[in-house]
Amino acid sequence: MPKNLHVKWLYQTMAVFYCSFLLTWSDGYAQTAQDSIPADSTETITDSLQEKQPKIDFTDLPKKTVGASVKELSVFPAVSLQQSLKGQVPGLYIQESSGEPGTIQQMYIRGVPMPLFSAKEVYQSQPLVVLDGIPLIGEHPFAYDIQQYDFNRIGPATNLLTNIDMNNIATVEVLKDMAGMALYGPLAANGVILLTSKQVSSKLAIDAHAYFGVAQRPTVTTINGEYENNFRRQFYDLYTATGKYSEDDVYPLYLSDSLNFDYYGPSNWTDTYYKNGLQHGVTADISGGGDRANFRFSLGNLRQEGIADGTGLNRYSAMFHVNMKPLKWLLFSAMINGNRLDRQRNHNMRDRFAEVGYLPDLQAPLAPNNDIYSRYMLQYDNGFDNNYTNIIEGHAKLVADFDKFKYTTQLVVDYNEGYRDIFYPRPLLDGNSYASNYYGFSQRMIYENFGSYDWNINDHHHLYLQAGNILQWDSYKYNYAYAYKGVNDFIKLNLLESDPNNDNYLNPTAFPKQLVYKFLDRTKQNLVSFYGKASYKYDAYTVSLLLRTDGSSNAQPTERWLFTPALSLGWDIKEASLQENKVWSTLNLRLNAGRLGRLNAYDNFSQGPSYTADVTFTGNVTTPGYNGIATLNRPYNFGWVGYGIPWAYTDQLDLGVDVGLLNDRITASIDGYIKEDKNQLLGIPAYAEYGYSRSYEPGMSVRNTGVDLLLSAAILPKTSPRNLGWSASLNLNFNQNKLTALPRGLEELVIDNRLLRVGAPIDQYWLLTNDGMYQADEEVPQVDGVAQTYNGITLHGGDPIWRDLNGDNRINDEDKSLQGNIFPKVVGGFNNQFSYGNWSLGLNFYFNLGRKIINEEMANRFDFVNREGTINMSSVKEITFWEKRGDYNKYPLYNPWSTVIPYRNEQDLFLENGSFLKLRTISLGYDLSDWLKQMSSKVKRIYVYGTVNNVFTVSPYSGRDPELVNYTGYDAGYGMAIPRTYTLGFKMDL
Amino acid sequence: MFLGVWLFTGCKKMLDVDSTRLVNEEHMWVSMEDSRAALIGVYGLTRAALADNNAYWLYGDVRAGEFKAPTRQDLKAIIFNDLTASYPSMEALTDWRRWYAVVNAANIFLERIHEVKENDDRYTDNNMTVDIAQIRFLRAFAYFYMVRIWGDVPLITSSYDGNFENKPRDNQDKILTWAEQEMLAAAVDLPFRYSSGDEQQIGNYYNEDATRWMGALVRKTTAYAMLAHLAAWQGNYPEAATYSKFVLEMYPVGGLGYTETDDLTNANGFFYNKRENQLFGFNFDWGHIDASFTGHLEELTLASPLVNKSVPDIYLTKDSILSVFNELGDERFSLDTLGNPTTENYFMNFNGKYPIFSKIKCIMGGSTADPNFRTFSSAIVLTRLEDITLLRAEALAVLGERSGAIENLNVIRELRGLENFNEATGGNLIDAIFKERKRELMGEGQRWYDLVRYNRIRNNNPAFTKLINEGGIYWPINRSLLSQNDQLEQNAYWK
Repeated sequence: MPKNLHVKWLYQTMAVFYCSFLLTWSDGYAQTAQDSIPADSTETITDSLQEKQPKIDFTDLPKKTVGASVKELSVFPAVSLQQSLKGQVPGLYIQESSGEPGTIQQMYIRGVPMPLFSAKEVYQSQPLVVLDGIPLIGEHPFAYDIQQYDFNRIGPATNLLTNIDMNNIATVEVLKDMAGMALYGPLAANGVILLTSKQVSSKLAIDAHAYFGVAQRPTVTTINGEYENNFRRQFYDLYTATGKYSEDDVYPLYLSDSLNFDYYGPSNWTDTYYKNGLQHGVTADISGGGDRANFRFSLGNLRQEGIADGTGLNRYSAMFHVNMKPLKWLLFSAMINGNRLDRQRNHNMRDRFAEVGYLPDLQAPLAPNNDIYSRYMLQYDNGFDNNYTNIIEGHAKLVADFDKFKYTTQLVVDYNEGYRDIFYPRPLLDGNSYASNYYGFSQRMIYENFGSYDWNINDHHHLYLQAGNILQWDSYKYNYAYAYKGVNDFIKLNLLESDPNNDNYLNPTAFPKQLVYKFLDRTKQNLVSFYGKASYKYDAYTVSLLLRTDGSSNAQPTERWLFTPALSLGWDIKEASLQENKVWSTLNLRLNAGRLGRLNAYDNFSQGPSYTADVTFTGNVTTPGYNGIATLNRPYNFGWVGYGIPWAYTDQLDLGVDVGLLNDRITASIDGYIKEDKNQLLGIPAYAEYGYSRSYEPGMSVRNTGVDLLLSAAILPKTSPRNLGWSASLNLNFNQNKLTALPRGLEELVIDNRLLRVGAPIDQYWLLTNDGMYQADEEVPQVDGVAQTYNGITLHGGDPIWRDLNGDNRINDEDKSLQGNIFPKVVGGFNNQFSYGNWSLGLNFYFNLGRKIINEEMANRFDFVNREGTINMSSVKEITFWEKRGDYNKYPLYNPWSTVIPYRNEQDLFLENGSFLKLRTISLGYDLSDWLKQMSSKVKRIYVYGTVNNVFTVSPYSGRDPELVNYTGYDAGYGMAIPRTYTLGFKMDL
Repeated sequence: MFLGVWLFTGCKKMLDVDSTRLVNEEHMWVSMEDSRAALIGVYGLTRAALADNNAYWLYGDVRAGEFKAPTRQDLKAIIFNDLTASYPSMEALTDWRRWYAVVNAANIFLERIHEVKENDDRYTDNNMTVDIAQIRFLRAFAYFYMVRIWGDVPLITSSYDGNFENKPRDNQDKILTWAEQEMLAAAVDLPFRYSSGDEQQIGNYYNEDATRWMGALVRKTTAYAMLAHLAAWQGNYPEAATYSKFVLEMYPVGGLGYTETDDLTNANGFFYNKRENQLFGFNFDWGHIDASFTGHLEELTLASPLVNKSVPDIYLTKDSILSVFNELGDERFSLDTLGNPTTENYFMNFNGKYPIFSKIKCIMGGSTADPNFRTFSSAIVLTRLEDITLLRAEALAVLGERSGAIENLNVIRELRGLENFNEATGGNLIDAIFKERKRELMGEGQRWYDLVRYNRIRNNNPAFTKLINEGGIYWPINRSLLSQNDQLEQNAYWK
């Protein structure tokens, strides 16, 4: 559908909805309602929709957790919640490792709770997002079990938090300490992002927000075969006499033939690959009704095109709230938020081959010539790659309100489903077509009851009691089938014989049945929680205690329940002793400590020793049987799981102070915390002589210590429209992690090329230290006539000098040391808002300090000998191979043929400082409201604005944008650049 | 209130969720389906150990150093005996975990199978006896294989389920003696065929007919064939002669026969899917949707024009081909008097840059018509009748029974269209037998072990003898294994 049609569709639907509503609503119901409800009842309706936290001013919770206002956040053309919040919340670190619209982005609150080896651990480290009391469910990582490569999860792999339209959100809070998190239970072990949507008002109101924008095509330097040839020739000149390293050495044909125009001609593929991306977002909402029943309805559409490879995301969203008060003491409210996401994905060969599971011959990479490349890209038009996600969440809530006592019962459903349908025609895969279909869902249902007693005893004493029970059912499922070699390129579906009388019933008809693979998986997790909370306020002092017990079906039967407490104290010093003080307008001290359980992601752990169908091997990770018969054996590849696995839990201590000076012209919140995630399961490489790849054992503890700072100041307060106003806000998190314990009391452990050492950070690289190059064999140090070796291989001239840390003249893992951190030590944002008259100007900076990156892309380019010609993922060259990136002169010219692999990426040669500072947004806006008033228009407010985003990045990193690195810290060059975008928009209130 | 009561009673039910993804102890070992799944599982794990990273051929063929590897640096390292080089495939090849998965699965089977017997009336004594015999054989075979790769390894014959102990390496002679006893014991109970009216296996085995089982399971002849190999590896040639004799006398009972050259090299011939003649084989049956991209010799050897791949991972140079296939009329490969290949059974594209070793070429459903899709359905065959015939020839030759040796050698020579062995011009008999083995079993994971046995017998290559004496014929033990089990010590040669 063309873009303008979307917009039209949106307005039409809006109009229809609005008209019908007016007819049915305003005439009858609303009027009768108005008569019998006291005027202040609106207050009650909206209030009870707020979250479970009481709305009394208990001082054990921080005043403010997000640097920018939601209004400011909504100006940024974000598609995901992560993008909206990046750099705005101290202690919330967001990894946006690709600028491709709608891809998964990670969030970490107050550091990483566990070492991140794979996407599975990343999944278990994500915070909980709560939208209007609905704890949102994400996708389950179990699908990775059938995947050989975990670049992307099978299915649409769309970021599910693209379902948040900031225009619908009234407040964003981030709960990082136990005073806030504990109420949300084990789901909240990694912190909570609390979103509250805009509430209804009893007056009729229409708001609209729209923007249009362009993401700017980046300028890159391209290279061609000649350039690459010259680059490689240096090594041949240095290390070969004849231009051949050995008689078997094969020089790639695409580089050796200088008359080949495809590779040696112009490198103009960028004309097809990169383009300016158009973006728009339109949201409109209407709210109204009366005091006894009211509603809000919002519709939106967002389209964001990426700057490369035809990527993009479309979102259609609708949100509906309704509140009704059939009886004076009874409130019914319901909310539904529905989103449809339609994502156009990149055409990376790596991702496609990983999906297909098959690698064609890789002797000739894509040519840098635009004619060839664009012709190649046209092949995709004969196939499809459809990615749809439908997300719907809603609640229905009944609140019985007897003044002090309230009883709430609510039913919450969150459901998301993803579809991916693929057909790749024959020319894309060496003459084999490929079709796959994925359907998967994640579903959460919650039945929750809680009662509260809110007793304002007198001016000095206030008591709030709450007790509740939560029953939660999560279930996840997917169906996945793929097939190779269809009969032709016109039948693009994996059709099955549908006639039950046919012998071939349910067998594939368009694809050979021997090449059709089907998968089905399902898992469930249930959670039962009981909790009680008491908060007591005596003048300036608040004390809250929360006790809860949670039972999880993924915990072992003998360890099913975990009891956890949380205690928080607040002391409002301002109220207690500084009431007359002019300087201190706020001074509030908070202290809280508590514990929360952490859930097991997999039900494997609840079952103890078990049996599974897994007779797989490298390159064939899905074999379930032999000789046409399913097998059952211990899960040797997964690892040993014994009995008696206790709950893991997170303990946190937080001391915070909220300060306000000069009538809150300057405010600051500073929180120091110690968070320790204890007793976590870790797969220890063990019991190989019993067939197991690892043994899952509890006992890993990781401590994160840090400080969150949120500082805001009205540097130039705006006293009249005619003077310049300047307010600034700085948010900062300093975090350090440390491994405090390993299972079995181990001191250190090597897993997947990472060293975990008790007392050291968990996010460090484990690398050899590079000290240059041995120019000749004679330079290699000898001990007792034996030359230095690397893992048993004698070093020669042309090999790197790796520092021999233990002095045994043998370079091996013992000479590696922990260096650098994957995650930044300091993350922060700096917002500035200037205003003059009706003008406003915003500047938003974002920075990361104290992090390192392994420039793997450069390592791979230099290690061309091992990455050429073999049918292996490491030999895959994307079209971006022809882009000049990085600084070639930084690296010595080693002998690339050496079996010590001189350009291996596990050395500090490729370790670089990845700190950066970004000017993320400049926004300029003008408020037309005054002018409208003069025109006596019905429009209450119009605000027009323009923004430039991702303006510049300052970084010592020699690769591309240092943000484009995922949780591994290795920059393989796959992140799509985060584009600079220009937008124009308006906000209008009727 | 009611709600509250319901909640408390319902809680426990709600939290007991049986996994749909795995089978827990409660539901295992209760029926014949469980014993079948566990039995086939041990086969599946053995196949996985052999197929992982094409280990069977990297150990058996590539290490012999006769193939060339133009592009893959890891294969070059193996060819040059740089076995500590760090490539992902080398990490896997130095790791014995997959073999111990076979051992552990077998140990658990032997310890728990009585539960099925107690729980399921359908599970007969005979069924159980045959199951146990197969499991014991597979476990012994796993140890024999490991000993050939690593020398001494820990001998673990109990599952230690949940109470695992780190064990030191045991002397390889002790292990081989034990393995021989186990195989002999298994051989007693193993039938010659399955679901075919064998008196030691009554009725349809697991309710499947003979076509399901042919060549897929271990038989009595299989056990004796591997016993012959085991004895030969020990240098115990009298026993090797005895065991091989059993196979050569009893093979017709098992429905086996010699394989013609055409059938041997056909895309849908001997190696395709499964057949009785695969004396010890692990199939990747096309019809069972079990064909795979990896775990086949074809992945290493085939290239254009047979499959879409420009350069093979390994190939033999023209010279090295001609140095072994130097007799006229060899149906496997020979040149005519004009110097042109008379057959493409073993090699295609002989005159090209890369002669393609195309003996095994079970592409997809056993056809060479479509080169586009490199998925293969050839079985991993550890031994076949021709192998045992030559092994017997070798044993007799070593024992000095020349006529018997020549007789057996000639069986194979005749089968491949060669003249009988000429004592006058044929040179050293041992050399001739090993040369025949090289030609016949090329690409079947045998060459490296042949070289070791050959050099032990002939002792005429000082470098190789040195390798044998210093323990360099074994592979290094993966560093990760050494770090997780402090009782282990690295092989001296690789320290």
